[in-house]
Amino acid sequence: MSNFRDSVGLQLINNWMAEKGQTPFPFQTQTWQRYSNGYSGMVIAPTGFGKTFSVFLGVVIDYLNHPEKYPKGLKLLWISPLRSLAKDLAKAMTQAVDEIGLDWSVQVRNGDTPINIRRKQERLMPDVLLTTPETMHLLFSMKKNLRFFKGVKCVAIDEWHELLGNKRGVLTELAISQLRQYSPKLQIWGITATIGNLEEAKAVLLPYSNLKVTQIKTKDKKNIDIISVLPNEIEVLPWAGHLGGKMVDKILPIIESNTTTLIFTNTRGQAELWYQLLLNANPELAGLLAIHHGSISKELRNWIEDSISSGYLKAVVCTSSLDLGVDFKPVDCVIQIGSAKGIARFMQRAGRSGHSPYERSKIYFIPTHLLELVEVAALKEAVKQNQIETRDPMVLTFDVLVQFMVTCAVGIGFDSEKFFQQIQETHAFSYITEDEWQWCLHFITKGGKTLHSYEEFHKVILDEDGLYKVKSRRISMLHRMNIGAIVSEVNLMVKFLSGGYIGMIEEFFISKLKPGDSFILAGRVLELVKLKDMTVLVRKSKAKKAVSPSWMGGRLPLTSHLSHFLRLKLSDALEPGRLEKELRFLNPLISRQAEYSHIPKADEFLIELIETKDGYHVFMYPFEGRLVHEVFSALIAYRISKLKPLTFTIAMNDYGFELLSDQSIPISEANITELLSKENLMNDVVASINASEMASRKFRDIAVIAGLVVQSQPGTRKSNKSLQSSSGLIFRVLEDYEQDNLLLRQAYTEVFNQQLEEVRLQAAFERISKSKIIIKHAKSFTPLSFPLKVDSLRGTMSNENLDKRIQRIKAQTFKID
Amino acid sequence: MNIAEEFIKIRNEELVLTNQRAIYWKRENALILSDLHIGKTGHFKKHGIPMPDAILQKDLERLEALTLHFKAKYLFVVGDLFHAEANEDMTTFKNWLLKFEFLKIILIKGNHDRLSKTMMVDFNIQVEIELEIDPFLLVHEHLEIHKENFTISGHTHPGVLLKGKGRQRLKLPCYQVASNQIILPAFSLFTGLNTRAQLKDTVTYAFTETSIFKF
Repeated sequence: MSNFRDSVGLQLINNWMAEKGQTPFPFQTQTWQRYSNGYSGMVIAPTGFGKTFSVFLGVVIDYLNHPEKYPKGLKLLWISPLRSLAKDLAKAMTQAVDEIGLDWSVQVRNGDTPINIRRKQERLMPDVLLTTPETMHLLFSMKKNLRFFKGVKCVAIDEWHELLGNKRGVLTELAISQLRQYSPKLQIWGITATIGNLEEAKAVLLPYSNLKVTQIKTKDKKNIDIISVLPNEIEVLPWAGHLGGKMVDKILPIIESNTTTLIFTNTRGQAELWYQLLLNANPELAGLLAIHHGSISKELRNWIEDSISSGYLKAVVCTSSLDLGVDFKPVDCVIQIGSAKGIARFMQRAGRSGHSPYERSKIYFIPTHLLELVEVAALKEAVKQNQIETRDPMVLTFDVLVQFMVTCAVGIGFDSEKFFQQIQETHAFSYITEDEWQWCLHFITKGGKTLHSYEEFHKVILDEDGLYKVKSRRISMLHRMNIGAIVSEVNLMVKFLSGGYIGMIEEFFISKLKPGDSFILAGRVLELVKLKDMTVLVRKSKAKKAVSPSWMGGRLPLTSHLSHFLRLKLSDALEPGRLEKELRFLNPLISRQAEYSHIPKADEFLIELIETKDGYHVFMYPFEGRLVHEVFSALIAYRISKLKPLTFTIAMNDYGFELLSDQSIPISEANITELLSKENLMNDVVASINASEMASRKFRDIAVIAGLVVQSQPGTRKSNKSLQSSSGLIFRVLEDYEQDNLLLRQAYTEVFNQQLEEVRLQAAFERISKSKIIIKHAKSFTPLSFPLKVDSLRGTMSNENLDKRIQRIKAQTFKID
Repeated sequence: MNIAEEFIKIRNEELVLTNQRAIYWKRENALILSDLHIGKTGHFKKHGIPMPDAILQKDLERLEALTLHFKAKYLFVVGDLFHAEANEDMTTFKNWLLKFEFLKIILIKGNHDRLSKTMMVDFNIQVEIELEIDPFLLVHEHLEIHKENFTISGHTHPGVLLKGKGRQRLKLPCYQVASNQIILPAFSLFTGLNTRAQLKDTVTYAFTETSIFKF
């Protein structure tokens, strides 16, 4: 390899770095060399270690050494999950090529790119294009997109761990497979943070047998200081809910003593609340404190990001919107408010402070209710053991596949046989059958199974040249608007009457308000004036009190990994170790739970029965995370309802679940072993999933991605009203008339694969079967059950006769809404 | 198909509310219904959104069963008989019409009804903006200007949300009967429910596959 060591390109780069007083990290040099030798691969490095410059400079060096190999136009495609990342990356790359003396142009293309720049790019692509998976698919939907990508030598997937595990990951897999058609020798590089299943992550990104594949990992490890902030007295924190506003006094000194602090909350609603709380507590922060989340206007977000970089802002309240991204140099402190819900996310957020390689990261954890104190103890343990969650790739997502097929049909068209082979090469569709492929083809050409062929369905047609194509302009347009795999609630733009865009808000939230009501957005108190087209018109409000909006998306479930540690820590909490200050602090509350009910030890399983004016409650605490509890609770409800026809309202959070019924629930020491038995487990699970609404909920996203539900676009005047329907309605229709519909089946499979994780459920029941089951009758809500009563997601399940239910509701004091 | 019936008397007229989303008016020997949205599945398909044909088939089968059950001579459709443009579903509808030679259809034009006059002639459908048959005024949407009359209308696709003990929630389609109007549920099953538009002092008749419930 002495060739490469002596090469002009490497020398140029080394000199350039030396001028700046830097030396490359070993993993960077290694990446450059492997790239130059024709490898594809995956780079694993924490943020702040210069992973961008590993792959990027690899391409630059190779170009400097062999400029003749690179034709004019696009050379490197850089795909990252976040739009906001692209802007700063482009800046850094442009600066690098300028200083190195290369005449490359580096450009961004995504939804925010102005139309004149897009047209310019379509005439001549820049040398480096930074984009998103969705924009890639939009490019594929253009008529002559082959010429854009013919000369591409390398595609880099940045923050691959963020894409893996969701449907955007599948979009990315498909985009790569398409690029390989255009440029067969394409080198593919992934860049990822550490996750629990790196080997799998690599296999998903690089499934192609003709690639030379490598993996490069930094040995350096980020050191994190986790500091939990405890209130002065235990009564300050509520048992549940998500405010803990009294902790504000503890946060102010932390902001004061650091240069710049990022304050992470879990939802946009919480961010708005904390922004107000902090400002009220210390009005001097006005102008130095900002709020940043996904529903705030782009201009404001850009301003905030610039102001963090320049050190102008003292603190920013934010959501996952700032989880990723280029490093803000002045940030030396991170505060996490409430549960971070996962180990990887917590570490990622911590890493936003003290970004340079050998600095320590500092994160303060502010609990908002008492059980979160157990969580921080669990987090510390997990970080100590270096146990990080896996991101499990999705497979056989037919919704994404039919979308992609139509995308290509809108673009240059596809040959059925070749395309099928191409799809089969990807990880996501390596197990697709011929029948399933034919169904998808039928779905986009004939409209699925119909009683008689429908002459007017012309979505995709077989053209004379043997390619499948979309000919209708209107269908093309509808499809382009629908490309992507992020399904959001219907969002409305919020604007001042006098003009001026503030941000976005979900329709369901605004529909509950009346003109004259006040709400908070982007840290401002606004008065609703009226709704017009798809826009909410507001004026500044003088109201002292205003509701802060809730956004439906944004409630993350606790990962299974963290819940495992949580279970261990809870049982430790009765006798906390000397150094576990959180658990020691919590001891009085734990003792209260022990006194009124029970604290489940590691080998115990607790069930609480409570009767209130609401009805009969059963609480169980598997500590398996919300997603598993959704399946678990439906299963138990199903088994109980086999003993007696009942209607249940089911609530779950990350710790456990509640079954509530208006009639007594037949559960006792005598039958509990039977109810929790691992016998017949999977059969009963299937039956309970069929009886519950879980699949219908999953179908929401599927219907949108597959183009069955037309989403109205925010800000547009026309909302395709005549094509409006709901995924719930279509789900019902397909259940009635087309049970073998692949998309319908996918909804059930997703419940299975994503939530249930058969192995884990089996393990949980195995564990429970060996545990001592403890049933407690409590007189009122206990510290463990209270959070479920007030703050949880709900579903229902019933096997009662509908008419009987209505008659009973009629007899009760019912309310009509 | 199970037809559950609820008899009500309004302004001395006997009306039969059914759980199959239509009212039978005895004196006129007429079925009154609203929001069939014929052509909706076809409209979706034309725009590349696949929908099962059975949706329209089932709606028409229900209408057929009701017509035969009451031996009705008239259909008063208070709007949105059709969803959008003329498409293949019109052929299905026309074939269905052939079975009912003596059935007279009067359509009160709804916001969705945009088909040409020639087509209406072809279907033998009489079209009106509103229709007064004492003591009722048939309109598509009840408006402020109608407040002197007793209207029978549709348009809103009314539904009701029942709340019971143990945080139970049930959403059902319904008729809304007030002192000066009746609002019909949407006839087509391929429609959503609107539970927000509650009127004051209304008796709600919600229904299931088998029964009708008065609230």
